Amino acid sequence: MPINREAVSRRSFLGMLSATAAAVGGSISLLGSTTAKAVRVVARPSVAQMGRLLSYYKTKPRWASWLVPELNVNDGWQRWMRTILNSKSLPIVHDNFSRIGTTIRQTHHWVMVIDERRCVGCQACVVACKDENNVPVGVYRTWVDVVEIGQMVPDSNGAIVTDHGRFTNNIKRSSMPLICNHCDHPPCVEVCPVKATFKRADGIVMIDYNLCIGCGYCIQACPYNARFFNPVQQTADKCTFCAHRVDRGLLPACVTSCPTHARVFGDKNDPTSEVSKLLSTVPTTVLKEDLGTHPQVFYINREQEVYDENSIKNTVYPYTANLDSTEYATLSGNAPLPGDTGGQR
Amino acid sequence: MPPTNYYGTGLEQGYWGLMIVTYPYISGLVAGSFVVATLSQLFGRKRLAPIAPLAAILSFALLLSAPLTIWGDARQPSRVYELLTRMHVPYSPMALFLLIWIAYVILMLVELYAVFRAGNAERAVWQSRSLKGKISSILTLGVRNTDAASLRRDERIVRWTAGIGILLAFLFHGYIGFIFGSMKARALWSTPLMPVLFIVSAIVSGIALVQLVYLAVSKWYGWRIDRGIVAELNAWLIGTILLDLYLDVVDLVTSGVRGYAPEETFEWFNRLYFHGPLVWTYFGLQLGIGAVIPLIALMTRRSRLSIVNSAIMAFFVLVGVYAMRWNVVAGGQMASKVTNDVVSYPIIGTGYDSIQTVIGVFAVALLLFLFFMWGAPWRTGLEQPSEGTGLEQPGAGLEQPSEGAGGSSGREQPLVPPPLVTEMSNEALATPSGALPNEVTPSFLELQSLYRPSITTTQTQRGRS
Repeated sequence: MPINREAVSRRSFLGMLSATAAAVGGSISLLGSTTAKAVRVVARPSVAQMGRLLSYYKTKPRWASWLVPELNVNDGWQRWMRTILNSKSLPIVHDNFSRIGTTIRQTHHWVMVIDERRCVGCQACVVACKDENNVPVGVYRTWVDVVEIGQMVPDSNGAIVTDHGRFTNNIKRSSMPLICNHCDHPPCVEVCPVKATFKRADGIVMIDYNLCIGCGYCIQACPYNARFFNPVQQTADKCTFCAHRVDRGLLPACVTSCPTHARVFGDKNDPTSEVSKLLSTVPTTVLKEDLGTHPQVFYINREQEVYDENSIKNTVYPYTANLDSTEYATLSGNAPLPGDTGGQR
Repeated sequence: MPPTNYYGTGLEQGYWGLMIVTYPYISGLVAGSFVVATLSQLFGRKRLAPIAPLAAILSFALLLSAPLTIWGDARQPSRVYELLTRMHVPYSPMALFLLIWIAYVILMLVELYAVFRAGNAERAVWQSRSLKGKISSILTLGVRNTDAASLRRDERIVRWTAGIGILLAFLFHGYIGFIFGSMKARALWSTPLMPVLFIVSAIVSGIALVQLVYLAVSKWYGWRIDRGIVAELNAWLIGTILLDLYLDVVDLVTSGVRGYAPEETFEWFNRLYFHGPLVWTYFGLQLGIGAVIPLIALMTRRSRLSIVNSAIMAFFVLVGVYAMRWNVVAGGQMASKVTNDVVSYPIIGTGYDSIQTVIGVFAVALLLFLFFMWGAPWRTGLEQPSEGTGLEQPGAGLEQPSEGAGGSSGREQPLVPPPLVTEMSNEALATPSGALPNEVTPSFLELQSLYRPSITTTQTQRGRS
């Protein structure tokens, strides 16, 4: 090693140190008594630094214990159109959606197939989506409507024996995962007055939160109730098919977490993908087809009763149900719920 | 009604609150009062000429305060400039709002200039020392002559702006109806009738508001109320209420009858308007108080001349039209998109989208209107002292010419302007300021009456004593 008066950088010093240690360790190992270990020095903040960090974060505003994101701070996330929303810089459209696939080249066309034969209503996808996308309390990007219809029927040969007689189980429970359908002709994108929401060339419909003025037109225009007001950001929000994961070759969080493989995500343009095979072999339906939105979430074995009988009276998991309803008020209505903001929105 | 402390946690809520109920109401009043002003300016109803300036400034005051509602409803109000920089025209109806509003403001400024220019010119001369005189001299923009040619040019400008203004008023209120009518996601809103319903009820509310304001202002200043104006406004009110009622009945029949309506439309129309939370606002307020009762109460000519009756019916109509906006906006959101439950829609007292903010917007409109009333010379043809106790004989308005204004609507005279100095004394001409008593200074009324035969004054007819 040349010895000179220049400052030796920590990295080169550490390199020297580890080389020396390896040499020493290697020589000792030749004696066969100890194994060589690389020495790693990791920079940790001191206790005082940790205290300062904690008191810094204590000054940050929080909403129901969630850190309020600062969207206009110059910390690198301001280029989030390039990093998160559209990291591959795909063309985006706000109207004339038939351009995608014709005049705008479409490489992938992300769709989801939901197999209702497999969904058990475990709500794991709901939790995973909330965790992955920092969805605030009380609003959901995806949810599973589990509806129970029917009653116990008195039956003298019934299998259920109680003190009040024998009953047969005539109850049917259906579950339906619901999500933004990322329609091919989304009415929500068309009505945005400031072009804050857009459809990417690969089919994903997203919102640029820095542009949204919070007018709520898109939320009214979505026929599937997939959009909501993010109470922390005070803008519109919706499922993004976990574009930040998909762009990096992963699957959306809800798909990854589904234990029964009820959600299948893939590229419709790829004939070898599982969704293409499912779409070509299994009959599928979409929601509210007569509205002409061309949704890209396809349901296998969709139970019409879930849509028809979807009421708080039949809902098994009420936390995602229509709690702001007169039916809920007549049922119970007085339990404080998460997201209780005391009337201030 | 459920308590509000957990409102906002369900998957469906009312996203468009009281402000969005109030916005079509205010813009409807803008369009309607503008239409009343154009009745005399463009459609030749000269009897209504005295209230045209009042209706114009009423429309302008409401127009300026209308955006407060939607600005207050946006969750990110600091970004509304994006409506200009990133407007999604022509695909988003809401993006057109700012363009239409700016165009309408410019048009109203031009029209108000032309309507009030002569009055401002006169006030600038005769009251040049007072603040009002100084304001008037600015508002004339330098054009001070009140000869016949300039008055004719003013009238031509007014006719043109009234014509274009009617189109803009229809556009200003029509796009809002279109926002609702084009929403295929909500079954109760998605009907081609929606823009037409909004426009017609807007005109109804505008006529009623001008009627109420005219009666209130005349009573406040103690002026004689022209029964002819009252009766004519009531006649227009009845006509438009009939049209509005027709559209309401068509809407009811095509949406509220199971055999004629699709499932979702019928189910929610039936559940909300026939059995549910909106029964009283629909049948009681919108149809009952807002349409049927005024129709019955103003049916006879004698009832149309009564001042108390007209005021009460005008107020009823205003309440009924607000109920219609409530039924459409709130009712449409009470109908759940994806479940079978009625979405609760609380009315909040204070805070965001609350009654307090609605009152605030109307207060701003009232403030602007009072400011315009102070500053603009709108009293032409209205400023007549009451005769006696003010209790008029019924029936003394329409058939025979009354002892005041409005009696010459059937009299057609060519516009031959007499020379200016005929009726005034030299002393009057020589006095520069408005500090002299009124006996010497000719009022603007007298000046106007020389050029507009339809406007006659009790002063010139009976002489000032």
